[in-house]
Amino acid sequence: MARRFLTAEDVRRASAAEIVLEEGTVVTPQALEAAEQAGIVLRTGAAAYREPAPDRGPDAQATRQRLPHLPEPHDNPALESAAIVTAVGKNRPGVLAAITAAIAEHKGNVNDVSQKVVEGYFHMILTVQLEPGTSFDAFKTALECLSCPDDFAVRVMNERLFRP
Amino acid sequence: MSFSDREILETVRMLELETLDIRTTTLGISLFDCADPDLESACEKVYAKVVHHGKDLVAVADSIAGDYGVPIVNKRIAVTPIAWVGAASGADDLSPLARALDAAAAAVGVDFIGGYSAYVEKGFTRADRALIDSIPIALATTERVCSSVVLASTRAGINLEAVRRFAEVVQDTARRTAARGGIGCAKLVCFANAVADNPFVAGAHMGVGEPETVLNVGVSGPGVVRSALERLGPEADLLAVAETVKRMAFKISRVGELVGREAARRLGTVFGVVDVSLAPTPAPGDSVADILEIIGVERTGAPGTTAALALLTDAVKKGGAMASSSVGGLSGAFIPVSEDAGMIRAVAEGALSLAKLEAMTAVCSVGLDMVAVPGDTPVSTLTGIIADEMAIGVVNNKTTAVRIIPVPGKSAGETVEWGGLLGTAIVQDPGRFGCEVFHRRGGRIPAPLQSYRN
Repeated sequence: MARRFLTAEDVRRASAAEIVLEEGTVVTPQALEAAEQAGIVLRTGAAAYREPAPDRGPDAQATRQRLPHLPEPHDNPALESAAIVTAVGKNRPGVLAAITAAIAEHKGNVNDVSQKVVEGYFHMILTVQLEPGTSFDAFKTALECLSCPDDFAVRVMNERLFRP
Repeated sequence: MSFSDREILETVRMLELETLDIRTTTLGISLFDCADPDLESACEKVYAKVVHHGKDLVAVADSIAGDYGVPIVNKRIAVTPIAWVGAASGADDLSPLARALDAAAAAVGVDFIGGYSAYVEKGFTRADRALIDSIPIALATTERVCSSVVLASTRAGINLEAVRRFAEVVQDTARRTAARGGIGCAKLVCFANAVADNPFVAGAHMGVGEPETVLNVGVSGPGVVRSALERLGPEADLLAVAETVKRMAFKISRVGELVGREAARRLGTVFGVVDVSLAPTPAPGDSVADILEIIGVERTGAPGTTAALALLTDAVKKGGAMASSSVGGLSGAFIPVSEDAGMIRAVAEGALSLAKLEAMTAVCSVGLDMVAVPGDTPVSTLTGIIADEMAIGVVNNKTTAVRIIPVPGKSAGETVEWGGLLGTAIVQDPGRFGCEVFHRRGGRIPAPLQSYRN
């Protein structure tokens, strides 16, 4: 196990013009400052010191290597980008067109639609396949922005929420 | 369509109208490797390690909230009890470590960091003593640090010396934060049978046996349960009530597990537990007391309340256990008085006394939580209240906690406004009889017979 931390005290005690750190050592902000003031160079191997990626510990490492994978969304891009869009509100011409146009603009493909109109109010549920690489967040924002407070409300959810 | 319209609309309703949310994603960080004979160096290491591991937490939580459309309300950090980290320094005042934690929490953008803690259920080390002595100053000079002290366990019994000292610390903390209604005490809790993976503040910390880093999730949804029971109606029998709560807890837990695993993956760490707790907030509809009243007590605190709460806590645990193999933490129903508008209404109307509240804690998942008492309550009385609560936990083999605020300058019946999530409290009357002799005796209440299980 490498030295975990380099503190300001460690820097003050060092007499050399440079300190060579092992991979994974974290230098505290105070130590960085002390080294700069004293003109001491911090190195990891041949390169200048840069904060290492966080070492989350042996369990995290083991989990990454060994996990008998439960299906995760990132294993299946199709799952990662399936959205469920719901819209509820007053019926008027052009509602469906506005929503589907926004979906098309984000290159979403409507897989399924269910719609009902009761006494001038409608509710609609669409399942939408997004193209891989489409940002779910941007898609969600764009569609939810269509909502008018007195008119109808659009909500977008990730399909994974429904998978047991 | 692979899901029915009903399923989809139910989820929309849970998210939109019934305040289903991920209450907290809490990153646990072990600080054992930050121990140092020099306190200043220990502070440096603590700050560096918390920032090093915690810097991505808020961004990851926000990205998941965006991707799944589920709100993640709080992002928090829990660390190794500071008494263990500070022990090597031999310092008498460990509060510089609290300030290092506070600065680190601010740097990574989390609202609370838990773990200014000690385990003293059987006795004090020098470091435990130093930590407990420095709690009032630590809480008065920091914003985000939460402190917890373990005073009792089923295996060890109740350390009355520690209870007495804790009661003094509570009084002192209230006094030092008197200008803000003793708010320091809202960040200070004591435990019997503490859980090492609790993601909820103020008791969050990382006990022994936990990994280097771990992500725990707390889900909540009193509103979801409340409206499911409203739809069930008053004619259904209690078996149907339990079944409904269980089904809702199952759904809530699935969302929690999904978010927890994804957050752990994005951070590159281990997923620990999902804590399925009905944690109320002062927001309308987000109340555990409301649920009890829908189950059928006229006001929370009326006869039948303890039984209704027992049903609720148990059904939440069962639903959670079916939904996830990683249910942990406190899991159940929280009854923090000031944070729950329904509980405060019950206190205001005289339905809920301190005595009834104590009975309820025997079947809820935490204990006496966010209870305000008069500022001049004697330390001996605080000792008695805390010891009673510890006894309930020790004998029933469950976690109990006390978060009590002796509000300076206020007497029974007065109102104190803390604002935000901490809500409004009505100062409750601890009664006019004390326990001076019991308090003076000190010593230890031995472990109960049920602890001898080897």
